[in-house]
Formats: sequence, C-alpha cells, structure tokens
Amino acid sequence: MRRRRKALAGLLLLCSVVATRVARASTPRELFEAGNNAYEQERFNDAASSYEKILGYGVSDPRVLYNLANSYFKLGKLGAAILYYERALRLDPSDRDTRDNLDLARGLIRDRVTESEIPYPVKVVRDVLDGLSANLVGAFFLIVYLADGALVGLLLLARGPTRRRVLGYCAATVGLVALAGGVALAYKIEQVTAARAIVMADKVDVLSGPAADNTVLFTVHEGTRLEVRNRRDGWFQVSLPNAMSGWVPIGSVEKV
Amino acid sequence: MSATGSRERGRPGSRLAVWLGIALALALLPGFRPGFAQDASVRAQADRTRVDEGGQVVLTIEISAANLGDVAPPDVSGIVDFDIVGGPMSSSRFQWINGRTSATKSFAYVLRPRKIGSLTIPPLGLLVGGKTYRTGSIEVEAIPGGGGSPGQRGMPPAQVQRGGPGQPSGPGQFGGAGRLGPPGRAQTPAEPAPQVTVVADVDTRTAYLGQQITLRVLLDTQTEILNLGMKDTPTFPGFWTEEIKLPENLEMRRVQRGTEVYNEYTLMKRALFPTGSGALTVPAMTYQIQVRRRSQDPIESFFFTPTETITRRTEPITIRVETLPVASRPPDFSGAVGNFTLTVNADRKETRVNDAIGIKVKIAGEGNLNAVSSPPLAELSDFKEYAPKVTSSSSVVGERLRGEKTWDYVLIPLAAGAQTIPPVSFSFFDPRAGQYRTVSSGAIPIQVARAADGSVGTGGTFVSQSDVRQLRKDIHFIKQAGDGLADRSRLFYRAPLFMALLVLPVVANLGVYVFTRRRESLHANARQRRERKARSQARRRLKDARRRLSPSTSRAFYAEVARALTEYVAAKFDAAAAGLTHDRIEELLASRGSADEDRREFHRCLEACDYARFAPTSSDDKEMRRSLHAAEEILVRLERSLSA
Repeated sequence: MRRRRKALAGLLLLCSVVATRVARASTPRELFEAGNNAYEQERFNDAASSYEKILGYGVSDPRVLYNLANSYFKLGKLGAAILYYERALRLDPSDRDTRDNLDLARGLIRDRVTESEIPYPVKVVRDVLDGLSANLVGAFFLIVYLADGALVGLLLLARGPTRRRVLGYCAATVGLVALAGGVALAYKIEQVTAARAIVMADKVDVLSGPAADNTVLFTVHEGTRLEVRNRRDGWFQVSLPNAMSGWVPIGSVEKV
Repeated sequence: MSATGSRERGRPGSRLAVWLGIALALALLPGFRPGFAQDASVRAQADRTRVDEGGQVVLTIEISAANLGDVAPPDVSGIVDFDIVGGPMSSSRFQWINGRTSATKSFAYVLRPRKIGSLTIPPLGLLVGGKTYRTGSIEVEAIPGGGGSPGQRGMPPAQVQRGGPGQPSGPGQFGGAGRLGPPGRAQTPAEPAPQVTVVADVDTRTAYLGQQITLRVLLDTQTEILNLGMKDTPTFPGFWTEEIKLPENLEMRRVQRGTEVYNEYTLMKRALFPTGSGALTVPAMTYQIQVRRRSQDPIESFFFTPTETITRRTEPITIRVETLPVASRPPDFSGAVGNFTLTVNADRKETRVNDAIGIKVKIAGEGNLNAVSSPPLAELSDFKEYAPKVTSSSSVVGERLRGEKTWDYVLIPLAAGAQTIPPVSFSFFDPRAGQYRTVSSGAIPIQVARAADGSVGTGGTFVSQSDVRQLRKDIHFIKQAGDGLADRSRLFYRAPLFMALLVLPVVANLGVYVFTRRRESLHANARQRRERKARSQARRRLKDARRRLSPSTSRAFYAEVARALTEYVAAKFDAAAAGLTHDRIEELLASRGSADEDRREFHRCLEACDYARFAPTSSDDKEMRRSLHAAEEILVRLERSLSA
C-alpha cells in the first residue's frame, strides 16, 4: 500500500514537471527561442515578456537585451528600446547591429540634442575605444602591465651596463603602452559606470528643483538620454550634453 | 441730333470752318451722348403702405427726363425685407408738348413681405445717363392675417404694363429665345402674371470632405421664356467646382405641381467638392428672365412681342461637411474621395538591361482625383526610374465627376535576371460606405535579359554602375543563436583577481629590489674585509719570503714576493689575483690616484721579481734582501696612498 502511494506520488511529480516544461519554457535558452519565435510571428508583446523573463533570471546577456530592445522598438516604445540598446552596448560595445539600431531609434525621437564638436584624432581614438568592451581593454591593460612588471624585475636583477640599458628601454616602452592602456581602461570604466538615464514618459518637464512646485526649465521627450548628476528624495538632477540641467521625478526616467 | 442740325444751318461760312465748328461744339458739349438725360427726376412709389401677410406690394420706380436713353433697372439687392416675386416690368412713355419732349420710364416690382411688422424698402440706386440717382425709402407695414392666395401672386399693377422691351442684363446669359426649345404653353390666358420659379437643389445636404455634391438649378414656368441670364457669375466659396455641361438646347420636361402643369428646364448643374469642413453655404443666385407678356391689346399682340423681365432668386443652401475619420486612415492615403480602380500595366514583360520599359499606373473612378499627387510606384533598386509623366482628365458621366489620373513611368533595368515590379496600392475614402478602402495591383514579373551588346561583365563591354540605394530603413533583425547565454554584466576589472594581478608586479619587484640590495651589501662587506686584510696578508707573504732568503730558494723567494705584491693589489681592488697583468695593475692603481713614482716603483719591483724568478742565474743574498726591502717599502707607501 505504502509502496503504491509512493509510486503514485512519484508519478504525479514527474507529470507535473513534464507539464510545466511543456506549458512554458523555463530555461533561459528555451525562453530565448520562444521569444525569437514570437518575434518572427510579430507577437512582439510575447517576445518582450520572454526576454524580460530571461533578464529576471539574472542572465544579462547582450543578445537578450538587444532582442528585447528590438521588440520594444516594434511595439513603438522608443524609450524602452533605446534603454535596452544602451544596456546591450554596455555589455558588448563591439556589436554593430546594436549600434545601428540605437542610431536609428535615436533618429526617431523628438528631442535633438547636439553634442559638442570633438577634434578628429580624439574622435578616432574614441570611436575605436567605443567599439571595445571594458573587459577586453582591462585584459589588454593587465597583460601589458604584468609584462612591464616582469621587465622591471629583470632590470633590477640584471648585471652589466649593456643588458641594463636594453632592459631599461624595453621597460620604459612597455610602461608607456601600459599607461595608455590604463587611460583607455579608465575611459571605459567611466563609460560603463556613468550614471545615464533614458526618458521613458512621453514628455517630462525638467524643473529647477526637486519638488513639483518648481519652475519648469525645459521639457524632454521619450528616448532622450540624460546624465544623472545627483539624487534626492525621489528626484534626479539631470543634465543634457549641452549643459542644460534640472530635476526630474525618478519614475519618469530609467537608469541605463 | 436735332441740335446739331440746327447749328449747321445757322452758320454760313467756309465748309471747313463749319465742320471744325461742329466738331468743337460736339467735343465741348459736356457728356454729349445720344439719349443723354438732362436733369432726370427719379421717384419710387408703392401702391400701398399696409399689406397683409402673404400679400403683395407693387413698387414702381419712375424716371422722367427730357431725353432718356437706355436705362438699366435699379439695383434691388438692397431689398431685404421682401421677396421679389415679380419684375422688373418696364414701360416707357413719350410726350410732345409745345415742342418739348419728355420721356418717362418706369420699372415695377412685385414684392412680398418676408415678415410682419414695419418694413422698409431702402433707397434704390439707379444709373441714368452716367449719373447716379437714388430714390427715397418707403415704409410699408405688414400686418398678419388674410394671407395672399396663390392666384394673387404676381398680380401686376395696371399702370406699369406698357412700354418697350425689358433689359435682361448680367453675365452668363444662356441661349436666346430661339434656342429655348418649344415655347411655353399659356395655361391661363386670363391671368396676366407669368408663373415662373427658379429653385436650386442639391442631391445631399451632408457630405464628407471631398465628396461630390451635385447642384441643380431648375426653372419651372408656365409661360414662354424668351431670354434669361444670371445677374452675377455664381461663386461657391469653400467648394472646388466642376461644371457639368448642359446640352446646347435646354431640355424641357413637363411636370405636374398640384393641378398645375409646368415646363421645367435645368438651368445649371455643378459638381461641388467641399474643401473645408463644417457648415458650408451654397449662396443664392439671381436670374433675370425675359418672358412674353400677355397683352390685352390685340393689335399690340399681333404686331409686337410684348415682353417683360422678371427677377428670381434661389434660396441659399447649407451643407454640413464632415471631416474624414482619422483613426482608420491608411498611411498612404493622399486625399482621394470617391470610388476608384487601379490598374498597372507594363508595356512588355521581357526586356534587356538598359532597354527601357514603360509602366502605366492608372487610377480611375468616380471622384475628384486632383488632390492625389504622390506617385504610387515605390522606388526600385534594380531599375533606374525617371520622374513619371502625369496626365489627368475628368469627365462627367451621369452627373458624377469621373477622374482618371495616369502615371507613365520609364524604367531602365540595371541588372539582368527575374525582376519584379512590386504591387502598387492606392487608398481612398469611399463616402458611400463611409470608410477607407485600399486597392492593390498584382506584382508584375519582368524578365530582364543581358544587354544587347553582349554579356554583362566581359571585358570591353560598358556597364553602367550605380550606387546601391537604401530604399527604406528598419532595425536589424534579432539575434538568433541562444547558445551560451550568460550573465555578462560582471566586469573583469572589478574582480579580486584583477586587483591581485595589479598588485603582484609591485610586490614582486619590491622583493627583487630588496634581494639585490641585500646581495650587493653583502658583496661590499666581503670586499672591505678583503681590503682590510690585504696588508696583513702581504706582510705574511713577505715573512714567508724572508724564510726562503737563501740563494738555493731564490726562485721561491721571488715568487713569494711577487705574489705578495700582486695579491695585495688584487685584495685592495677586489679582483682576482690570477688575471692581473702589469698593465691592469697600473690601471687599477691609477684609478685610485696613487702617485706615478709609486706605480713606477711597484712596477720595477714586480719586474725585478719576475726577472729574478726566470733568470738562469740565481741571485745572491744581498740582492734578495734589497728586493724584499723595496717590496716592503712600496707596500707601505701604497697602503698609505690607497688608504688616504
């Protein structure tokens, strides 16, 4: 009797597991495929919820973020699309698709924010760095840095003036490269950790202070990117690249 | 003319002077014109000052002058309190009294009050011989009750039923009396008032923006119409108008209104397309109609055609125009309202690269197509497309305006292969269904062969290249591969390993530095010790040498002395004694600034030892002592100078 009951319980458990697996995808991979299928059938709402679930599992993969952003774009939610493209770019800045789609989405938003002109060589360097991930730059810096450390160690141990001179030059050169790598890494860290926010509401008034009764300084619209400079009692102090700044309610924007 | 005649007779003289005088006189006479009115008097009078509601008042305007020419009927547009139901009936009278002529012309109007109360016939303007005259205003009181029967309508006052022909005026005159078809049949010969009504009507009083509204103006008459015209060119503000042509000869229909039979003519047909929404008004139109008048005088009837000109005004019509629905509007809608068909034809289905093909896109149907402007053919990447030739025409079929618009495209195929002209779609608003409709053509396959001058791509043939064109933009597609999905938000530079590796070279190199310093200091200590021991060691060696101070052991003696000297320098300079040559010793000594004399002495001493060691003869005891002494002395001196 007890054995039969146990067997029945086991069977029930097995059935329930099978049922849940059939009823809905549970692993990130299955969810990803379910989302992709929904997207291809133009059920963008379903696709977005599948991708959101993957993120809910803590699997923050740039492909998931990119597909989610695409779904939001197709749903006409420009703010959410831009937010997730930005997040995908932070994880994988080398992805051309993400960059192109972000550019396209930015071209559709209401606000045009002109960024200050930067000189050509700086722009080239910046463009190269923008295409590299922080982890890659970090690894490069670390390798060069360790190599330089080894060279310095050899220099300390070396005897004889010729050997010392050669090692000295090598260490200095590699040291300069390591310094450049360090600057690049610092730039990437700044990029990744910069507090940015995307306007999610259709229209947000930017006020002169962190309270609703302040003067409206200017208005921003969905999809515009703001720099977050400060936070106080449910308000963000934000600024635009052209130095306009003010306060917005936290709920109206979403941090990247 | 009689005045000129009398002047000619009364002035003798040369013929030239006479003619000049006549010309001058004619020129100087102010306003000389045939039929010139001098000091005309104008008078308006009403036949009664009290009228029942629905009754009629006859207004007579009388112009008297010595000489009257053509006098136009007065401007009666200022009469707002009354409907003009008849008139103007004009009559003229000439009198010759005592050699003076006087002419009187009168216009009579039959007015019906529009409301009850004290009404005013305002002053009416009149142009007589280039001068304007105004009549006085007349007050008429309209009292309720005793509405006029239809039989009373248009009852003319007897005193104005005489005189010359009326003057139908105004632009837009329709055909003359001869073209007006069969003459109207007199229904009631006893009734002198002609029964003529003009009515404007539309087919619908609510319409969508751009929907056709057909306006008709009908004339019902029981009498013969000789001539008619409109007072003003009709304008329809707020509408785009298309005239619907009427036949050359106005068609007559017989209609029964109650017991009466009328002849009905269509005077005007217009297709109106509202260009704005809201309440739009088709304004009133005024017609002046010349009709045959029944004359009591049989002689007059026989010899003349007694006529009179009457004025009829249509009522303004208000049309409610609705805007097109916005919510369901297709994105490619360009303003066409009606019912249309779309055809797309290619002049051939097979062509070669660079051989043009013609594509004809035709939209035809009921409605106004003038608003449709966007070319419906999409841009094609493998064809060079020239701006299309656009032709449009419109015609009226059964009172409905039919439009036809054609886009003739010339396409030059740029690439060989199976190409397709994609489906063309066209959206319009169907006002009958009250919704938008989209019609589409099918895709047209075009087989493009290689160019006539040979195959594409071989050497020597000319290939016209063009940039790949971006037709439209969309986001890139989603990422497909779901392998290895992982949380990539962790950053390497934040890992403890990164920090550890960052610190590692610093720590390691610090260790290396400490190690090398320590080794060096140890080494330096050993050297110092050796240096300190150099003198005592040398002294010991010399003591050993002294022990061998005998001619039999002279070689050993000198070897010991040389060794004492060399090892001393080696110890002082922390060098290996074995490798020290004389030159090297010189160098080392010089590097620490020992005197030239000492160095020479040292050198001499060392040479003497070498000489004695390797000479075939052995040295004597005395010489050996001298060498020992010299060695001791130079060592003392070196010790002093090197320690200083």
